[in-house]
Amino acid sequence: MALKLLLTLIIALVTGLFFLGLSRKMIARIQWRYGPPLIQPLIDIIKLLSQKSMTHGGLFNFGLVLSLAGSVILLLFIPLGEWCIMNKSGGLLVIIYLMLLAPFGTALSSGAAANPNASIGISRKLLMALAYEVPLLLILLTLMTYYNTISISGIIVKQQNAGWSLTILPLLLSGIAYILILPAVLGIRPFAIVKAPQEIASGPSVEYSGKFLAFAEIQHAFQTYITIALFVNLFLGGASNPGYFFLKMLVVFVAGILIHTVFPRFRIEQAIKYLWRWPALLALAGLAVVVILDKI
Amino acid sequence: MDRNQISKWIKSPVKMGHKYSLHAVYFCTGCGIIEIPPSITARWDAERFGVIPVATSRQANLFLITGYVSLKTLKAIIRTYEQMAEPKFTVGFGSCPINGGMYWDSYNTIKHLDKYIPVDGWIAGCMPRPEAIFVAVTHLWTLIDREMADGYKRYRKNYKFYRSNQEKLYGKLEWPPLFQKDGAK
Repeated sequence: MALKLLLTLIIALVTGLFFLGLSRKMIARIQWRYGPPLIQPLIDIIKLLSQKSMTHGGLFNFGLVLSLAGSVILLLFIPLGEWCIMNKSGGLLVIIYLMLLAPFGTALSSGAAANPNASIGISRKLLMALAYEVPLLLILLTLMTYYNTISISGIIVKQQNAGWSLTILPLLLSGIAYILILPAVLGIRPFAIVKAPQEIASGPSVEYSGKFLAFAEIQHAFQTYITIALFVNLFLGGASNPGYFFLKMLVVFVAGILIHTVFPRFRIEQAIKYLWRWPALLALAGLAVVVILDKI
Repeated sequence: MDRNQISKWIKSPVKMGHKYSLHAVYFCTGCGIIEIPPSITARWDAERFGVIPVATSRQANLFLITGYVSLKTLKAIIRTYEQMAEPKFTVGFGSCPINGGMYWDSYNTIKHLDKYIPVDGWIAGCMPRPEAIFVAVTHLWTLIDREMADGYKRYRKNYKFYRSNQEKLYGKLEWPPLFQKDGAK
């Protein structure tokens, strides 16, 4: 069990860091640059961990640990292929509950630093979380109603018989809504308003130095892994073996990065208006379709 | 990354991390900053050397002083330098921070930057080309390798000297001393 847990963490960390490195390299190549080596995030983390860092008190440390812990707990409930640690319990309900723990921890931590840029970053981060949680909740509710289960592994098994959720007609609207909110959950452009280096000096992480920034970076890698893995599990049918699973994740991530590279950024109120209009409406319509079909 | 550096990575990953991940703080003084946009964008691409600009001093470990330093700017430079996490490296860019350059007789610029904060290396020229930044970065790698880029250690060791020079310039400083005494740990 402990070995399994450790292995899950290592796989998630390596995959997440690989994705971050790949995104930097891809952005560089699209901008006609040579770009950093693929392991640049790892080099950064080694450097940051060896630096002398500065804390702003107990809450500052605790919040960061809380956000990291939130991501680690979420990892236990995400199946990798057919392999999931907390297979029997929780499922989607736990994910709905714990999804907010990571932004909340970051908010606690950088709030303790009392930096005005950090405060603006926190308010943006929580508003963004509020904005994408509404369509996400509706989508998850639709899936639970359609498949009649709250277990992610159960949903994967049912998809293996009936085909991907994205190709099932009643779930098509929810699938499109999920694709529309995916950049917001990942925090990439056009929704990169939380970490806006040109505007608010990288937002919540403005006071992080050394080890704190390293842990924030690791949390970011975990978050990237969780978001993409959840989408692949719920809508792209999961996978029977890890290699196929990573291939699916890679395709989703590369598509996201292509959007990230060419689009500018929304303002916060534009982002909320957009997220609460199109994806939320689509998800609501999808839920209505599934409920009506269920009644008939 | 060269394949023949793998043994170095195994021997001291920390030192290699400091070498290949230099985060430069966005701090623009004088006219030298005009060379920074071309060097971080598509034409000269500093990211392949691991040099990227970051928005705050807390996240940075490379400080480029790009051009003349006026009295008012020096205050901000000192505070930014003291906020950066150790180990940190400073590079003076252009001839103005070295000896005043064309502002040698100006009443409100300082002439020798290394009296006020420790500097690890200089790039001479008015102005240096973007290629000179990369030459400086590779020189900085060599210095880090031989543990000669020890500006932050010198700042601790000779803090009384630097602080007294700063106070000579401004009278009383608005912030308390970073270290209580020389050679503080």
